[in-house]
Amino acid sequence: MPNPVTLSRLQSLIREGIDRAHPLPYWVTAEISELKVNYSGHCYIELVEKGGENHVPKAKANAVIWRTDYRMIGSYFSAATGGQSLAAGLKVLVRVVVSYHELYGLSLRITDIDPAYTLGDMAQQRRQTIERLQRDGVFDMNRELSLPEAMQRVAVVSSRHAAGYRDFMKELSASPYRFEVTLFDAFMQGAEAENSIVEALEAAADRSDEFDALVLIRGGGSQSDLGCFDSYRLCYFLAQFPLPVLSGIGHDKDLSVADLVAAVPLKTPTAVAVYLKNGAAEFDARLDALSDELSARCAELFEGQRTRLRECAFRLGQAASEGVHGQSLRLEQLGGRLRALTSQTVRSGDERLASLSVRLRQSVRFGIAAGDARLDNLRTMLRHRSENTLLSRAKALSLLGDLVATHDPRRILERGFALVRSGGKAVSDADALRRGDRLEIVTARRTIEAEVVKVE
Amino acid sequence: MEKKKITYAQAIEEVERILERFNGEQMDVDELGAQVKRAADLIRLCKEKLRKAEQEASEALEEE
Repeated sequence: MPNPVTLSRLQSLIREGIDRAHPLPYWVTAEISELKVNYSGHCYIELVEKGGENHVPKAKANAVIWRTDYRMIGSYFSAATGGQSLAAGLKVLVRVVVSYHELYGLSLRITDIDPAYTLGDMAQQRRQTIERLQRDGVFDMNRELSLPEAMQRVAVVSSRHAAGYRDFMKELSASPYRFEVTLFDAFMQGAEAENSIVEALEAAADRSDEFDALVLIRGGGSQSDLGCFDSYRLCYFLAQFPLPVLSGIGHDKDLSVADLVAAVPLKTPTAVAVYLKNGAAEFDARLDALSDELSARCAELFEGQRTRLRECAFRLGQAASEGVHGQSLRLEQLGGRLRALTSQTVRSGDERLASLSVRLRQSVRFGIAAGDARLDNLRTMLRHRSENTLLSRAKALSLLGDLVATHDPRRILERGFALVRSGGKAVSDADALRRGDRLEIVTARRTIEAEVVKVE
Repeated sequence: MEKKKITYAQAIEEVERILERFNGEQMDVDELGAQVKRAADLIRLCKEKLRKAEQEASEALEEE
């Protein structure tokens, strides 16, 4: 049985061998698959080389950037890439020292980085994404949407806790205009960022009729990764989003593909808020201007109409006075004719009346005369007739007188006749007499008293 | 009283009726005086009416 060695001895032997075999650093290309910075400031990274079968990496190794190196390397990389921090998903060219530790095993200590490599890779990725989007015909779609005048109902895809979201909300709240902000919460960094953002975009798209625009804002801090904003899947979604996309992803140098497809690419969340505020203010100002213009036009219109009315009134007055003048002339003419006709009529009436009057006088005279004549005639007749009557009655009376004279009883008595009276009455019927009755016998000269002796 | 009521035409008619009675020998002598007086009065009345009418006609014609 050979002599066993302790594990630590073995590990130490391996370390010595490795140190001997790889005394110098290597420049290595790899993709960061995981990255975390621990509480003490050291950065632990998992590097992979993709391209194995069944999505299994071809190679994988742990790497570390010690705190002191990480401060420099991290800020250098970020500055060189325009704000891109070291993050999972990046392809990097790093200088590593192969080291082996008895307790932690093999590790690649990163001592330097060449950001140009990452930039090149990012640029290539970016280019590929753009070309693919253009081939698919969606690259320009969001930019071709017409922007609403004032965008006040906004869907925001961001992280609830992100500083950028707070900046955005703070800036908006300092506006006199009211904005309705609906947050679609998403992870904005890390490996889950792309899926999470796409899900948030889908949720916002489902309610697109409730919003005027979609705002995509991110972190706001300088340390973040931009990789997902160049990804084909996310940008494909953004480009075809039914509402205008306002991006405020935060970058210093190149635009991400998301910015390129967004209708309104802006640098920071605050810039997006300012843009929205300015839009509202411009719209408000335009409304004011329109209102001013409207009132100016109205005033012009009114003035024009007033002038026109004044002209009309003036012309009307003229026309009226002309009309009145004409009418008064006409009336005068009519009056003249009326007077002429009247005097003519009166004259002929006078003449007629005069002749009637004459005739009337004549008639009256004739009538009166006729009446007089008739009455005179009547009177004459009355006189004649009454005289005739009286005359004829007088004749008759004289005849009667003669007749009476021949029958006078005295004459009869003178001729020897006597009148016998009894009781003062002439006795015409002797049968009434009785013996002893006293009688008066009247003769022509004497009256004899007698007594009835005998009646035979 | 009667003067005012009787019209000219009635008066003339009455006078003619009285004259008619003379013609037919119906005139009673007792009535005669009264009848002649009546007829003469009526004739006078008619004359008055006639004068009045003449005057009125003349005045009316003068008024114009």
